[in-house]
Amino acid sequence: MSERLPPNPRERINRARTINFSFDGKDVEAYDGDTIGSALHASGQKVLSRSFKYHRPRGLLCCAGQCPNCLVDVDGSPGVRACTEPVRAGIKVTHMNAKPSLDFDVMRATDLFGKPFTPPGFYYKTFIRPRRLWPLYEKVLRNAAGLGRLAKRQADREWRTEYRRRRADVLVVGGGVAGMAAALRAAELGADVVLMDDGPELGGAMLAGQDADSAKELAESIRAAGVEVLAPAAALGFFDGLVPAWQGNTLHQVRADRHIAATGSIEQPLIFDGNDLPGVMLCSGAERLASLYGVRPGETAVVATTTDRGLESALALQEAGIEVAGVVDARAGDGSEELLGALAAAGISVHRGTGVVKAFGRKHVRGVVVADLDDEGRPDPASKRGIDCDLVAVSGGTMPATSLLLQAGAKARWDEASGSYLPDGVPSDIRVAGAVAGHEPRNCAAKSGAVAGAEAALSLGLGSEEDRARLQADRASLLRETEGPAPAGQARTQDAGSRNGKCFACLCEDVTTKDIDYAIEEGFDSLELLKRYTTVTMGPCQGRMCQLASIRQMSEDTGASIEEVGLTTARPPWSTVPMGVLAGRPFEPAKRSAVHGRHRELGGNVMWAGDWRRAYDYGDVRAETMAVHEGAGLIDVSTLGKLVVSGPEAGAFLNLLYPNRFDNLKPGRIRYGVLGDDAGRITDDGTICRLDENSFYVTTTSSGADAVESWFSWWLAEWKLDVQLTDVSQGLSAFNLAGPRSREILSGLTELDCSNDSFAYLDGKRANVVGVPCLMLRIGFVGELGYELHCPGPLAEHLWDSLLEAGAAHEIRPFGLEPQRILRLQKMHILVGQDTDAESNPLEAAMPWIVKFEKEEDFIGRWALEAVAERGAENKLIGFTIENGTVPTEGAAVVVDGQPVGLVTSSRFSPKLERSIGMAWVPAALAEDGTTITVSDEGRQISAAVQTAPFYDPDQELLRG
Amino acid sequence: MLDLFRKRRMWRPTAELKDNYDVVIIGGGSHGLATAYYLARDHGITDVCVLEKAYIGSGAAGRNTTILRSNYKTSEGARFYDASVKLYEGLGAELNYNLLFSQEGHLTLAHTDRAMFVMVERAEVNRLAGIDSRVIGPEEIEGLAPAMAMSRDAVHPVMGALYHPPGGIIRHDAVVWGLARGVDRGGAEIHPYREVTGVERSNGRATGVTLSDGTRVGAGMVVNATAGWSSTIASMAGVELPITTHILQAFVTEPLKPLLDVVIVSSQMHVYISQTDRGEFLIGAEIEPWTTYRQQGTLNFIQEASRHTLELFPQLERARILRSWAGLCDISPDFSPILGDTEVENFLISTGWGTYGFKAAPIVGKTIAERIGTGTTPDLIEPFALERFYRDRLVSELGAAAVSH
Ligand SMILES: Cc1cc2nc3c(=O)[nH]c(=O)nc-3n(C[C@H](O)[C@H](O)[C@H](O)COP(=O)(O)OP(=O)(O)OC[C@H]3O[C@@H](n4cnc5c(N)ncnc54)[C@H](O)[C@@H]3O)c2cc1C
Ligand code: FES
Repeated sequence: MSERLPPNPRERINRARTINFSFDGKDVEAYDGDTIGSALHASGQKVLSRSFKYHRPRGLLCCAGQCPNCLVDVDGSPGVRACTEPVRAGIKVTHMNAKPSLDFDVMRATDLFGKPFTPPGFYYKTFIRPRRLWPLYEKVLRNAAGLGRLAKRQADREWRTEYRRRRADVLVVGGGVAGMAAALRAAELGADVVLMDDGPELGGAMLAGQDADSAKELAESIRAAGVEVLAPAAALGFFDGLVPAWQGNTLHQVRADRHIAATGSIEQPLIFDGNDLPGVMLCSGAERLASLYGVRPGETAVVATTTDRGLESALALQEAGIEVAGVVDARAGDGSEELLGALAAAGISVHRGTGVVKAFGRKHVRGVVVADLDDEGRPDPASKRGIDCDLVAVSGGTMPATSLLLQAGAKARWDEASGSYLPDGVPSDIRVAGAVAGHEPRNCAAKSGAVAGAEAALSLGLGSEEDRARLQADRASLLRETEGPAPAGQARTQDAGSRNGKCFACLCEDVTTKDIDYAIEEGFDSLELLKRYTTVTMGPCQGRMCQLASIRQMSEDTGASIEEVGLTTARPPWSTVPMGVLAGRPFEPAKRSAVHGRHRELGGNVMWAGDWRRAYDYGDVRAETMAVHEGAGLIDVSTLGKLVVSGPEAGAFLNLLYPNRFDNLKPGRIRYGVLGDDAGRITDDGTICRLDENSFYVTTTSSGADAVESWFSWWLAEWKLDVQLTDVSQGLSAFNLAGPRSREILSGLTELDCSNDSFAYLDGKRANVVGVPCLMLRIGFVGELGYELHCPGPLAEHLWDSLLEAGAAHEIRPFGLEPQRILRLQKMHILVGQDTDAESNPLEAAMPWIVKFEKEEDFIGRWALEAVAERGAENKLIGFTIENGTVPTEGAAVVVDGQPVGLVTSSRFSPKLERSIGMAWVPAALAEDGTTITVSDEGRQISAAVQTAPFYDPDQELLRG
Repeated sequence: MLDLFRKRRMWRPTAELKDNYDVVIIGGGSHGLATAYYLARDHGITDVCVLEKAYIGSGAAGRNTTILRSNYKTSEGARFYDASVKLYEGLGAELNYNLLFSQEGHLTLAHTDRAMFVMVERAEVNRLAGIDSRVIGPEEIEGLAPAMAMSRDAVHPVMGALYHPPGGIIRHDAVVWGLARGVDRGGAEIHPYREVTGVERSNGRATGVTLSDGTRVGAGMVVNATAGWSSTIASMAGVELPITTHILQAFVTEPLKPLLDVVIVSSQMHVYISQTDRGEFLIGAEIEPWTTYRQQGTLNFIQEASRHTLELFPQLERARILRSWAGLCDISPDFSPILGDTEVENFLISTGWGTYGFKAAPIVGKTIAERIGTGTTPDLIEPFALERFYRDRLVSELGAAAVSH
């Protein structure tokens, strides 16, 4: 730890506690409070990554999580910013984009030799012919691209993350002086305030400077005032008032009535040859490193700047114990006299009107070449001179961090005086405070925050007349004090003479200023085209380090003003964020029937069916099927949707929803119903039992339960009928007891007279069965005598057990979904979604009888169905049989002359009928009994005979008996 | 290779707008540019101008997730898109611009019996139309996408997939720029930052357009190739389209080393996933249910799409999302496009592209150019006439269209 500076009061590290971790397999010692980046730098590891395209060595630049230079992999998570990630004992940190090692990267060849071959968009211009070789080239390109490496395979999510939702009166984004002042003022006025900041400690830009103590005090007072502080929590975007922020394992989603953006500003780099060498750092980065972590950013520094920031920085660095070999200021005349005086007093020479044209060194800066700049900012080659240093601290002015505001709908206006884009046209529920608003100096920022906080709280009706008066006064004094940032000098000091310089405008994507010139000359002369072609601003820094530079250059190259060049669209997220955080806690919503445990005990093959877990079979499909035919079977149909529709207008309501009639259904009777949409397409089906004059019990398909409930609610709201809708799907269980002996079984368990005379087909009755109150529907989905028993879920297990127990003497078997499918197919009972699709209407789906055009009232889809009736059916759903036992795949095509004209929707082998049966859509002309159709199934041609009546018990004798 | 050393302009600087053109194309997306390109290439029609309200490719062309495939459900659709993919295969060489067309295959996953059934149906229709498309089981899927988690005990187990080997992804910007260069070299003009605000008519024919700055441009033929905005332009001409405009969203992760070569689509999970040549995972979903022209994304989309992606690729939990965006989709009632003539003479349209129109760009350009050049409607686009909605002759992709790109 030789590179540590003497202790200073602002440092975040605890020198008494060391922590060890590994970097590329080597042990690194750090202090508690270090970041991975500060610890590595202190240990002498100055190169942290290799760049995206040319694999150039890169080291710490911003020390604030704003650039791509320090991306590392931590315990298998790629893309972690080393400079802000706290060290934890034992973590394994590895570099990302270099082979075989960070120090020796073979791909560096692309930089040293390949440069002329890799201008922007080079891949669009190469490997075009011969086409058959492209897949090979592509492999090479793909392997060269990409930074992070993830597990080839991972069975499940391993990282547990959570969502947390929070409502607040005021949300403040940014915890610098302005944000804290805003939060404090709003909280004092009684607002419920949340403040989020991406740093671990509030204070923002103050922390590394002289005011660190007052930052700490302010942070304490806002906590005391009841502000909820989320830190480190990076705000990710502004989604119509909803602001998500990532903190550790949590994704906060804060919705507030007022927002205050106090997001500060981002220091900009300078552009010169070699401006990406390790050792070139932003002034703020070097200061942070020195003051927060006590790490020596370098022995000897040259500070290069275009504003007063650099002058301040030179003083700060020298005070921290770093030798400052000189300040290179691009401005010839401007500059604070006070600062210049202090520099002179400190013995630091200031080269005014000069710029750095080159930083040299192989893997690290060894020195810079500076030159005088002419009026246009061009370096004068004759004036070149060298200065030795191992740190170049640069400051190219600041860029207000407006991204969130832009996402919220604000515009950015170019402010010529300060040379930056300031927010404009900010939506009314948002206030802007501090540096992002151009209110830079500390006092001014604090006042700006207090004004914003007061405005936000007062606009919510909080506060008193006095507070209003104080706000007026504060506003007035803010106006007086506001000084925008001083105008900046030339940020790009590229040596005009040299064509080989590597001046990086964009570090993430390795785009040089020459690349930008090249692209503009090619015709990519608007910022959005330039961005897409060169990929400048499209990397992990989200344009923080490169947007302004590319705008300036485009303006210079094309002659358009900076205002005209404009900004690119700000797209969320503002900071990169792992998918696991956004995904929240992994969950698989599973619904289980009240007797789920029984299915497992009975050996059911339980499978997913939508959200439900259901028994596919109990091990013997054939035996289960035959049991229903010969004795009895019991199936759990609790998954059905169940609605009670009641009220004086319930019948009228159903008449409007369904194409058939329900107002004339007698209490205690059941009718089948098919639901359709406005286009007459079938959306669901089920049975409807009239319980009494005013109420109906409606069942729906399992998968359609939610959709039908919303559909009914929607129309109810639209028609405003006197009807109540109660969804009882979750509360009630249902079992279908079916088979010739089901009557005997049921009779033994209930007092109800179950004889055919008093409990006929399509009757619905309420009675107790083994003491369990049941609604019993005599219907026959599976084609044998049967009763669907609906009962309260908590009692269902008792009913299920009793039925099986009583049925034992009658050879009852539980049966699963698969036997049910065979049984219902024998009856040609359709499965919505299987035999029908988004195109099917009841007229063509073999149910013309269900559409009652003679009904006087309108019903949903009437117009469309009338149109179908008028033109006549084009396609029909029919049954078919295949003698030789072949079962075509469901989905196979029905063909005529080799062209698809229809499809098989269901097909099974029926053990009872001992042949293959199925249903298919065919052109109307083929929908005649006895017609032979051809099915094409993966190329096999299969002949089938059309049958329009049910395959089993076509006259319903068994059902009625 | 030689081109690399010669710095050549991609296109001429924007020319002065003339008073009149034989053909005015509204919309500088993939369809507008392709139409201009084929007009010159196939029919020698070069007095053409493309009017674009922002920069070329600023609409859906520059925002889409670039999946190309032809395994559509209807035979009309399959035939049409197949012709388009074939044109794309040769387009890079023809334009001398590498479109980075990565034909590594396209998998539509099935998680239920019902979905398997739809896959079988599509495979059969495709096979009969001569399109390489078949249903495969879990083992083969594992071979093609070894990074995918295939655990069976999940809400959405991977039961099988429709495999379409010629499907894949392409570089959208390259298509736009390659076509734009082709248009420029062919002699037609491209005018960015020119917004059309009116369509002029006389005697039931379109005769020109007016621009937001008041400029009037006369035209022998007006082509509306504005996709998401097409109903607004059509109503300027007095044509009401049965189109609604919705947003569709997507996001990319930071670049990662290669994990996935094929395109994975899961309709039931409402998500589709590919990895670009740059290494980014590119993830999209289905359209949002509300209609809007505001291209603003939602947090809910990023959350849901992340959650579902992680069901298939749990290792991506640590991959970082870099950028998300939204684009417009013009949805037709039957999820098939509307192409060709309208009741206003000399006013042609290309719309109804839903979430999958990028793959159609070359064939749209070629057939619309043919319609203009020869005066007759090519067979391939006959079924897609606007008129079909008046005659109830839909070409329904509904059954298969939940998430299809
Ligand atoms: C997120 C997303 C993902 C998608 N994924 C896929 C996919 O994987 N595969 C696929 O095939 N398709 C996909 N699509 C659909 C596809 O992008 C579009 O169907 C297709 O690009 C539309 O054709 P276009 O390129 O001509 O449209 P656009 O690029 O939208 O072109 C229309 C142009 O018209 C311009 N314009 C509009 N109004 C005016 C006016 N008044 N005056 C002048 N100009 C005007 C617009 O600025 C725009 O540039 C996706 C779409 C989105 C949004
Ligand atoms: S140095 Fe870590 S992000 Fe810039």
